[in-house]
Amino acid sequence: MGKGLFNKILIANRGEIAVRIMNGCRLLGIPTLAVYSTVDKNAVHVRTADEAVEIGPPPPNESYLAIDKIIEAAGKHNCDAIHPGYGFLAENPRLPEACEKAGIIFIGPPSDAMRLMGNKVESRIKMADAGVPLIPGMKSAGASIEQFRDAAGKAGYPVLIKAAAGGGGKGMRIVKKAEDLQASVEAAKREAKNAFGDDTVYLEKYIEDPRHIEFQVLADNHGHTVHLFERECSIQRRHQKIIEETPSTALTDEVRKKMGEAAVRVTEAAGYRNAGTVEFLFDKNSNFYFLEMNTRLQVEHPVTELVTGVDLVVEQIRIAAGLEISAYVHKATQRGHAIECRIYAEDGENNFLPSSGDILYYEEPTGPGIRVDSGVTGNSVVGVEYDPILAKLITYAPDRDLATAKMINALKDYKILGIKTSRKFMIEVLGHPEFKAGRTYTNFIERYMSDRKIDFDAAAEMAAAVSSAAMMKSSKSVSAGKKALMPSPWQTIGPWEIGRSISK
Amino acid sequence: MIDQFLYQNNIIETNTELQADYYEITIGENKYRIEEICGGKYEVEFNGTKSTVCCVIKNNKSFIDIDGLLIELGLPGDDGNNAGGAAGLVGEKDKIFAPMPGKIVKLLVKDGEKVKVKQPLVIVEAMKMEHQINSPSDGKVKSINFSDGDQVDTETPIIELDIE
Repeated sequence: MGKGLFNKILIANRGEIAVRIMNGCRLLGIPTLAVYSTVDKNAVHVRTADEAVEIGPPPPNESYLAIDKIIEAAGKHNCDAIHPGYGFLAENPRLPEACEKAGIIFIGPPSDAMRLMGNKVESRIKMADAGVPLIPGMKSAGASIEQFRDAAGKAGYPVLIKAAAGGGGKGMRIVKKAEDLQASVEAAKREAKNAFGDDTVYLEKYIEDPRHIEFQVLADNHGHTVHLFERECSIQRRHQKIIEETPSTALTDEVRKKMGEAAVRVTEAAGYRNAGTVEFLFDKNSNFYFLEMNTRLQVEHPVTELVTGVDLVVEQIRIAAGLEISAYVHKATQRGHAIECRIYAEDGENNFLPSSGDILYYEEPTGPGIRVDSGVTGNSVVGVEYDPILAKLITYAPDRDLATAKMINALKDYKILGIKTSRKFMIEVLGHPEFKAGRTYTNFIERYMSDRKIDFDAAAEMAAAVSSAAMMKSSKSVSAGKKALMPSPWQTIGPWEIGRSISK
Repeated sequence: MIDQFLYQNNIIETNTELQADYYEITIGENKYRIEEICGGKYEVEFNGTKSTVCCVIKNNKSFIDIDGLLIELGLPGDDGNNAGGAAGLVGEKDKIFAPMPGKIVKLLVKDGEKVKVKQPLVIVEAMKMEHQINSPSDGKVKSINFSDGDQVDTETPIIELDIE
């Protein structure tokens, strides 16, 4: 690789994705600069970076979203490139514009491609022109409730309300009957306003029993655009993905080829560069509809990395540095099966309510084919300021059944105390006969998991038993149990002296 | 040694005996054999099945991870409201708390209104998401302590109910 594609890269993010990107930089021998808000002083991403600089107080607007502070930090610390990660500024075209002004390389797409794809309404029009299939619905954003009523009537209920500036399920509502339309439009507008500062929402037909299938793409500045196959992300709660996998059980080679070609067409039509993801909705008859393009590295990128062997962060950095996509990427195939489970600070046993507090105990699973991308460790403090993702657990195996079994074991071995997570919930999803059969639709959780029963009384009793042991241990010092059971080798070898043969 | 723990307003009483290299814990008819593997990590044998369970005690609470399921127990001296965590699942059913510090987006019920179990009561925004909090049981709204747009913590109930 030679020394230095870049002098130093500023990572304008926090948590697991900042750590992931720093590890990619390290592979290429490029030093990294972390930025952090005052609450993240001891965060893992700060410790992982070569250098770190505080850029402001906890509210994102005053730190992780403060473009001027980030550009200033980059200048002061001799960074010639900025990687935005996902979330925060990753899809804000003002960051690449500010980078350009400051003479810094933005590791991501050009601002105009980002701006186009960031507007879900405009991008749909553009993609329809490029011959990519779309879901029936509004051609533009709705202004009055009558327009929504009209469009909903034409498309037929159920319909979906979506934020024009949206992503990640925020500002999104399914409406099943006409009388719920107004309340849902209002709620979606409020959420969109809060999440994106823009309350523009639009309406489209809601496809029942769909799968969410997306294609990873890479495009360089030398005219190469490739796709790295699909990720199926149908297991969602509140329209947000929690379990992703590749390959999808729904795709035949023929459909996969057609969708991959459509993804490349979308990428080229948008004038896109760097890594991106083209999202499709996939119906029961193998029809696929363009949803949107995510102009960033995705949360779920590791499953693609494990199955294709491509390091997406390394490719992002190479492309940003003006190099061609690595030769081996063009030969990538899908080998084996990978699954990702997102570890969020949320209560899987109580409607996924967010959880915050101190991590009191932390142990990651290990073993062949187990990858943990984590932004926390023991003693980390999980606050309410930021996205509640703690880590991602990814397993890789020769086939889907083995990858699933490995994931169930790894989720059991992943020990986190102090913060609630959905580990138990995801174990039950993975063990469900419908998941095993590959019948994963975006309504999977609603349909199959809403009546799950957990024997909390039995669990609480066992919890009390272990707590009793812990209490007694803290009141009396007990010699470790194992010691007495295992004879020490020193006890079994008989008398000996240093420097003398034992057999003598 | 006798210990008491609080879970969902129920008390679980345990009797712990220290054996040569393990703990024997009796709860009612059930016996658990527990060995510490290393700090905070225990091997539990119950009904012929072994599992690895983690446990940390802090701030008058015990936190336990059983194969990915997190249980929180209150220790004696705890006021009881904390055991088990977020509102709606456990704790007092007549008080509706915010799941996290956040902002009231919209109150969906009025003072004195009759409510049914699972009826949406209030929408709270926390961590950039809207959370709908549903009624834990049938009843009548006794008092509403906040208005739309107010900041809320997790200590003060948003709504208090008269349970039927």
